[in-house]
Amino acid sequence: MDADKIVALVTAGGIELTDRRRNTTDDGWSLSFANGATVEVGDDGSARIAGKGSKTVAGLLDLPVASRGI
Amino acid sequence: MKRSSTLALFSSALALCAAASASAAQPGDPPDGLAKIETVVVIFAENRAFDNLYGHFPGADGIDKASQESLQQRDRDGSVLSELPPVWDGLTAKGVTPPVTQAMTEHLPNGPFTVNDAKGFNVPLSVVTHDLWHRYYQNQMQINGGKNDMFVAWGDSGAMPMSNWDTSKGDMWAVAQRYVLADHFFMGGFGGSFFNHQWLICACAPYYANADKSPAKPSIAVTDDSGTALKIADNSPKSARDGVPKFVSDGNLTPDFYAVNTMQPPYQPSGNDPAAGGDPLLADPAKPTTLPPQSEPTIGDMLSLKHVTWAWYSGAWQYTLDHGNHSPTPNFQYHHQPFNYYANYAPGTEARREHLRDAGLSGVSFIQAIDVGVLPQVSFYKPQGNLNEHSGYADIQAGDRHIADVVAHLEKSPQWPHMLVVVTYDENGGIWDHVAPPKGDRWGPGTRIPAIIVSPFAKHGYVDHTPYDTTSILRLITERFELPVLHGIVVRDRAVAAHGEPPLGDLTGGLDLN
Repeated sequence: MDADKIVALVTAGGIELTDRRRNTTDDGWSLSFANGATVEVGDDGSARIAGKGSKTVAGLLDLPVASRGI
Repeated sequence: MKRSSTLALFSSALALCAAASASAAQPGDPPDGLAKIETVVVIFAENRAFDNLYGHFPGADGIDKASQESLQQRDRDGSVLSELPPVWDGLTAKGVTPPVTQAMTEHLPNGPFTVNDAKGFNVPLSVVTHDLWHRYYQNQMQINGGKNDMFVAWGDSGAMPMSNWDTSKGDMWAVAQRYVLADHFFMGGFGGSFFNHQWLICACAPYYANADKSPAKPSIAVTDDSGTALKIADNSPKSARDGVPKFVSDGNLTPDFYAVNTMQPPYQPSGNDPAAGGDPLLADPAKPTTLPPQSEPTIGDMLSLKHVTWAWYSGAWQYTLDHGNHSPTPNFQYHHQPFNYYANYAPGTEARREHLRDAGLSGVSFIQAIDVGVLPQVSFYKPQGNLNEHSGYADIQAGDRHIADVVAHLEKSPQWPHMLVVVTYDENGGIWDHVAPPKGDRWGPGTRIPAIIVSPFAKHGYVDHTPYDTTSILRLITERFELPVLHGIVVRDRAVAAHGEPPLGDLTGGLDLN
């Protein structure tokens, strides 16, 4: 799953994207959402979800919280 | 304009207005005046354009009166779209069964469509649908100088901006029929909820000092030469039918550091956790989305200055502080709590304790205060997330019923004989409306939204065509309680006049105070 797809799915659920930037190792994107969730998405398609609203975002993406997945 | 100049101007305006208010109506004036209103209640729902809910309300400036120009959406190159693009990823929210998929929304004619049309998608009002971009620069690009013909082009949800609903069986439709529907009421600022909640209480744009030297630096937007539109990225799809537009930097801050898209409150409850080892009452200031505490004067400050009692009642406020947030219920929204961005209402202050009140789950504590008759002179009520009608996570029906229930309690309150209630929406939620907003200042007004005026003094069964915006609520409160005028209102009034637009009203056009 790429960053654009993650943003599309989460924002379609009414959760605004509040920040998007390349990560410090320049191998992926760091996304922040209005409900407090953050998603670290790698250029390889891996994703890690954390923060206050992580359960909701994980549900929208069909991904587990704080674990890596495609 | 530099911040210090702004504040100096505000101080001057404050002195002038304080002098002016001294000669205005005084307590004890004839009982047929504004002083009859002793209790003001503002109910602030979420993300609906006027045409989206009330586009076929009898007597209103609805979809039937839309020009061909605004009905037909244009592509990014200015050409008229031959058909609408599909709703990307589908019209219904994830988990809705049966879903309306992206494929089912292919080849819609270029024009508005009704989501609950029995001959169309037939999606009931109780279903949550796809959210849409509702952002500061995109809203201006979509309005396109008043033509309203680029909502699809500069949205992220394909055809979705052209959606509307038949709400004629809804509870609030009936309330609007009994009282006043204002059909030229516009959102105070362009864009989204964060910004428009600020306009409701401050008529101002929040500011992030030295943002270019802060963690928020990458959140500074890159605009084109107009300063009112985002700079389009080289790899952006050329046509709206090919996908969502891409921008060089679609940030939260303007190039001169005003916060116009969602930032998190500096105080809990905030989307951002406290810093590790830091004060648990604060949000981590090092997070790029944490807005520093604000100091611009608010309507709350003005009310307190004049010893007028007031409160911001927030659904699920205490629940969220005590138990954390939960979705889909109550789905508390951190950026819908505008006073939580201001140093005057920081944790530990007496002002916070007095004025930022828990409305309870589903507004139960607020309703209790209504029933007992102990509302302050001015109340703002923010329903919790699942009851606010926001696309993507809330449906229309639940919020409509909840707000109508609150109105019913208000009508039975001991305070009702001298009450004025305004039910409105914070912003349009990225949804198309056909009426051109008045030309104002840099910050707004934006797209037209519904507003219903409920009061024993309201004209009954009346559609009020007076131009209003969110700051009209502040105008009413300011006039009624003889407050100093917030600087943003002065600027807005001057800008509207400079454009030759009729002045924005104070909501009394919907009242019969005689």
